[in-house]
Amino acid sequence: MAGDIPMENFLILSAILFGIGFYGVLARRSAILILVAVELMLAAVTINMVAFAAYLDPERFTGVIFAIFVITVAAAEVGLALGIVLRLFRDRQTAMVDEASDLKW
Amino acid sequence: MGMEHVWLLPAIPAVLFALMGLFNGLVPRRGDFIVILGMAVVVVLSFLVLLDFQGSFRDGHFAPGDSNLYSFSWVEIDTGVVDDLLLIEFSTFVDGITVLMLAVVSIVTLMVMIYSVGYMRGEVRYGWYFAVLSGFGAAMLMLVVSGNLLLLYLSWEAVGLASYLLIGFYWERQTAAEAAKKAFITTRIGDVGLLIGIILLWRGAGSFDIQEIIHFAEGGGYGETYLTVTMLMLFAGAAGKSAQFPFHVWLPDAMEGPTPVSALIHAATMVVAGVYLVARMMPVFDVALVARDVVLYIGLTTAALGATLGLVTSDIKRVLAYSTVSQLGFMFVALGVGSVTAAMFHLFTHAFFKSLLFLGSGSVIHATEEQVVETLGGLRRKMPATTTLFVIGSLALAGIVPLAGFWSKDEILLVLQDGAGFGPFVILAATAALTAIYTTRLVLLTFFGEPKDQAAYDHAHESPAVMILPMALLALLAVIAGFVALDPVGRALGFTGGIGEVVFTQGHEGHAFKLDATIAIGATVSALAGIVLGFIYWSGTAERAVRARQWSPEFHDLLVNRYYIDHLYQFTIDRVVLGLATVVAYFDRWVVNETGVDGSAQGISFAGYRLKFFQTGRIPNYALAMAIGVIVLALVAVGRT
Repeated sequence: MAGDIPMENFLILSAILFGIGFYGVLARRSAILILVAVELMLAAVTINMVAFAAYLDPERFTGVIFAIFVITVAAAEVGLALGIVLRLFRDRQTAMVDEASDLKW
Repeated sequence: MGMEHVWLLPAIPAVLFALMGLFNGLVPRRGDFIVILGMAVVVVLSFLVLLDFQGSFRDGHFAPGDSNLYSFSWVEIDTGVVDDLLLIEFSTFVDGITVLMLAVVSIVTLMVMIYSVGYMRGEVRYGWYFAVLSGFGAAMLMLVVSGNLLLLYLSWEAVGLASYLLIGFYWERQTAAEAAKKAFITTRIGDVGLLIGIILLWRGAGSFDIQEIIHFAEGGGYGETYLTVTMLMLFAGAAGKSAQFPFHVWLPDAMEGPTPVSALIHAATMVVAGVYLVARMMPVFDVALVARDVVLYIGLTTAALGATLGLVTSDIKRVLAYSTVSQLGFMFVALGVGSVTAAMFHLFTHAFFKSLLFLGSGSVIHATEEQVVETLGGLRRKMPATTTLFVIGSLALAGIVPLAGFWSKDEILLVLQDGAGFGPFVILAATAALTAIYTTRLVLLTFFGEPKDQAAYDHAHESPAVMILPMALLALLAVIAGFVALDPVGRALGFTGGIGEVVFTQGHEGHAFKLDATIAIGATVSALAGIVLGFIYWSGTAERAVRARQWSPEFHDLLVNRYYIDHLYQFTIDRVVLGLATVVAYFDRWVVNETGVDGSAQGISFAGYRLKFFQTGRIPNYALAMAIGVIVLALVAVGRT
């Protein structure tokens, strides 16, 4: 399988993906795009886990099972988050998060 | 009914107090007859105790074995201080002093209760009055039977409470409410000393049991200074309760209560609790001789002070109150030279003739609704029975042969001469003569001469039989009570050596009565001289007394103003106590409240006001802060490995 490719490559890919996602969360104002960025970070974590599972503990499936869990949870989370975004948009005709600052003092 | 069942005596009136205090509205006559019957049972029981006590003599010595003790463990606490166990026992103890006090308390209480049926007829809170009288009886009986100091202290406070309730019985009247407070607070100052004294005694002996403490003290278990301080503390409590200088100020004001209450609590029973306490602890005072000398001189001061003030007071009850203060001083003088016998004998006789005098004054007040002697006069024509009984009581107080007061006062003068020498003896003898003078003045102004207030005189009438009969019985006792001192009478009653054998504390033999002819004749002559002087000054229109007033107006002012002691206390309260209170109030308002409580709240509120601007409401800011936090934590984790 992935015998020729060293594990570090996967970790680097994961780190880059996480960095992009993190930048997206911090820099984007649109709630939808922030969600997309969060998904990127989750994908980075998932890659990390699958890589560790494949290279460090190939006998068992702990990391893979975790990856499946993360995907499931991410799906549920997106369902919930999109519902919130929808409510936000209905309420104030925008999905920009910095507009939603009513609870600040 | 033996001495070990003596706890029944306080138990009966205590139960009646609880029942009658709550349910007096449910029984006919508001339950006065129930309370009186209960006290009558107590009188019978106390005589049974006396019989059992008599039966415990072997070869002329009190040898009861353990039959005069009763106790059970009440509270046990691990303390880690003395023997690791604080044991409080409910215990009763009977000896000569107890038997004598039981007789005095139960008889006088019963007489006063019967008298009250007439005196308090139609008063508000009639049922409550009798309930509290019963409660007082319970507390006082408990006080004299308790065998350990904690139980004694408990009863001590309980009689104080009953006294407070009864002084302030007419609490709608401002002066009565204030007098009740004054009595309670003044005695309370002494009571703090008593409590400290009890704790100090316990700290040494590891027990509250009086007999164990006496044993420990006699064995030299306490250090000398330690014991002196302790006994002075104890005496402060006794002086407060017994209205001794400098605590005497509350007793005259306590006359605001109903007159039967004054007769019971402020003449015969509660105010002698201090005498009883010192007599009970006399073996310990015998070890701390400095403290005993203080008792002597305080008693001497008080006796003279009370007698001189009795000369100028115009309220009939207040004259008797100062007389009580003075006579209590006599008792403390006897205790001060170590003679429990003389003190308890005087307590015994004084209880009867002084309560008789108070009941007589109550009869006058009941008839005329007037209690200032200058407005009375000539009452002997309207109230012959009261007059006769009052005169008997006065003669007993003045110490005329063969009435009760003569024997006991003589005994005190005798032991004083033996124990303290000439100076104190002369002062006390002069005080005894003064007693005769102010007593004569009181009798003359009230019952003889011409009526000064015609309306009060016309209003006067003889009191009903229910009031006269208890007075007659007390008068009988005032006449014959002194005879128990005589050897033949004592033997006839079953006590070898008369009352001198009856009244002693364990391990200390009482001495038989002596009658020193010189002192007896001297005392009689001075008492007669006092009466003659009283007649010269106050008979008729009392013009000589008015002229004597002008002889030294300054001295008269001094007496009328009660040596300015009350003024001094009032000044102290106004300036020192209230001044301190102002400082404390200022501290409380500005330091505790403004700075401490409100200040911290305002500080937090202000900090919140400033710090809230950190919240931008922009999600990226929060996310960035979170990210920085995670990175820092990660760096720390990496750095540590």
